[in-house]
Amino acid sequence: MELLTALAIGLLFAIGIFQMLRRNVIRSAIGLIILANAINLFLLSTGAYQGVDPAYSTAAGVQSDALPQALILTAIVISMGGTAFVLSMLYIISARYQTSDLDEVNGLRN
Amino acid sequence: MKTHLILFPILMPLGGAVIAMLLRHRPRLQVRWTFATLLVSLAMSASLLWTVWQQGVPLVFEGGGWAAPFGIAVVGDLLGLLLVVMSQTVLLSGVLYAWGSRDQVVRYPTFYPLFLMLTTGLTGAMLTGDLFNLYVFAELLVISGTVLTAVSDDKYGTEAAYKYFYISLLAAAFMLLAIGSLYVSYGTLNMADLGQRIAADGSQPLLPVAIALLLAAFMIKSAVFPFHFWQPDFHTAAPTAVSAMLSSVVVKLGVYGFLRMTTLLFVAQAETIQTVLLVVGVIGVVFGGLSAIGTHNVKRMLAYSTLAQIGFILVGIGWGTALSIAAALVFAVNHSLIKAAMLMLAGAVASRAPVKTAAFAAITGLGKYLPGMGVLFFLGSLALAGIPPTNGFISKLLLFQSGIAAAEWGVLALIGVSSVLTLVYTMRAFRRIWWQAPDAEVKVKASGDRLLAPILLLGLVVLLGVWAEPLVSLAQATTEWLLSPAAYVAAVLGG
Repeated sequence: MELLTALAIGLLFAIGIFQMLRRNVIRSAIGLIILANAINLFLLSTGAYQGVDPAYSTAAGVQSDALPQALILTAIVISMGGTAFVLSMLYIISARYQTSDLDEVNGLRN
Repeated sequence: MKTHLILFPILMPLGGAVIAMLLRHRPRLQVRWTFATLLVSLAMSASLLWTVWQQGVPLVFEGGGWAAPFGIAVVGDLLGLLLVVMSQTVLLSGVLYAWGSRDQVVRYPTFYPLFLMLTTGLTGAMLTGDLFNLYVFAELLVISGTVLTAVSDDKYGTEAAYKYFYISLLAAAFMLLAIGSLYVSYGTLNMADLGQRIAADGSQPLLPVAIALLLAAFMIKSAVFPFHFWQPDFHTAAPTAVSAMLSSVVVKLGVYGFLRMTTLLFVAQAETIQTVLLVVGVIGVVFGGLSAIGTHNVKRMLAYSTLAQIGFILVGIGWGTALSIAAALVFAVNHSLIKAAMLMLAGAVASRAPVKTAAFAAITGLGKYLPGMGVLFFLGSLALAGIPPTNGFISKLLLFQSGIAAAEWGVLALIGVSSVLTLVYTMRAFRRIWWQAPDAEVKVKASGDRLLAPILLLGLVVLLGVWAEPLVSLAQATTEWLLSPAAYVAAVLGG
């Protein structure tokens, strides 16, 4: 199970980074979302194997670590805000430059 | 010492931002409110800094009353509070500049609330004792800074903001990965606790990964050499009042991070980090200086100059002696004041140009009509190049003294030659604007941005140049604290 999770997270990282480096603005935004989720899963895996019983319960077994989940909740909120902001900027940029190709968004280079 | 007061510099701008948002339909009241909020917050941080300096113990607040490694701590030690006072001083002058600015962007209803959120992010990141909170506050800083640039008068503002936001999200990803790696290895995120546990067991396989990722994240924040490419675009396209903040105090967050990394978190591994910082610092000094000479825009020139000046600070941290860290701190404070004033002056010149731009092609020869600004710009150039009677001289003097004491002749020669470059590019800008005749008959606008903010900042620059003793002794006291982190750890973890 651990190996499978590790491989899945690694695959998500690879897909996220590959998509993020694409020239199409929408694809790169999707890459960003995938990357953010890969990181969240990575954070989850830092506490996933400590215990299986819910935290703060009275169960007799090893209780799970609640901190990574709190970290992920915060990270999800931040990445949601960031993604929304990126998409709104993409909207303005693609309207202004009439393109979805990042190489043509080059007003600053001149 | 346990106290709630340390929350004040964070909560004041945060609450102020909410109220400023409610005042969005009353712009005149909004700017006054923003100014008053920051003024009170600055007064409070300065008095806290004074208290901590006199008493010699950090102020600690424990969130919800939970003891430190479990609860979230806010720690005001000398390093954090010194940088907070520096940041809030410059941010206050930024509000003052925006108040007298002719830019359209300052009439944007959420301009001042975002400005206060920027303050909150920067203050919080420097005062928190928890690595994850550092990430949250840094994100707050990044998002408000990006929105402020995206609404800029410059038509390329959105494009620059987009670029910056992407690279910042990458920095955020690096930081989260580092946090995850440290948490899985050491089971804590409190910086004092983390520092102790890393000192006790430095053999965890994920430790070097976490160090590299954190280093990269802070390098992106500070626009250090391999990650600098977004910075000139971003700082050129931002509105003047904002770019003066970004290029002076916001880049200091990375400097703060490096100091915490080398003196608190990774003390045993500090030598490797310092070597990396020394190398990228020297590259930044040379590369930034040369690039600044080749630019066609005053704001862009100053942005490249920030790259070089941050390089000097990194060299100071990289040498890692008590003298050189104190020099780096003095340099960081002085550079913030100088760079903010210079960018405001560049923006003020641009605001008087027929077409609003800071490109040399448009503002060559304008100086004939703006003699007062010429005097100020000349003073700022002297400070940037490190010529007395300005504070730039003090910071360079201390840095070179510490280098001589450490017998680092090769690096000294390189940065010595490169600091001449500073004089070359600032004087080149001065000559083009104030000495050269304009190409054709230009009409200067009758009024532009007010000069009160840069005058106040340059007043501080000269004051700290002729009366440098308090700042230098404060920096030395801070360095003593940094080099013996036991006091910090004891204050946070309750001894």
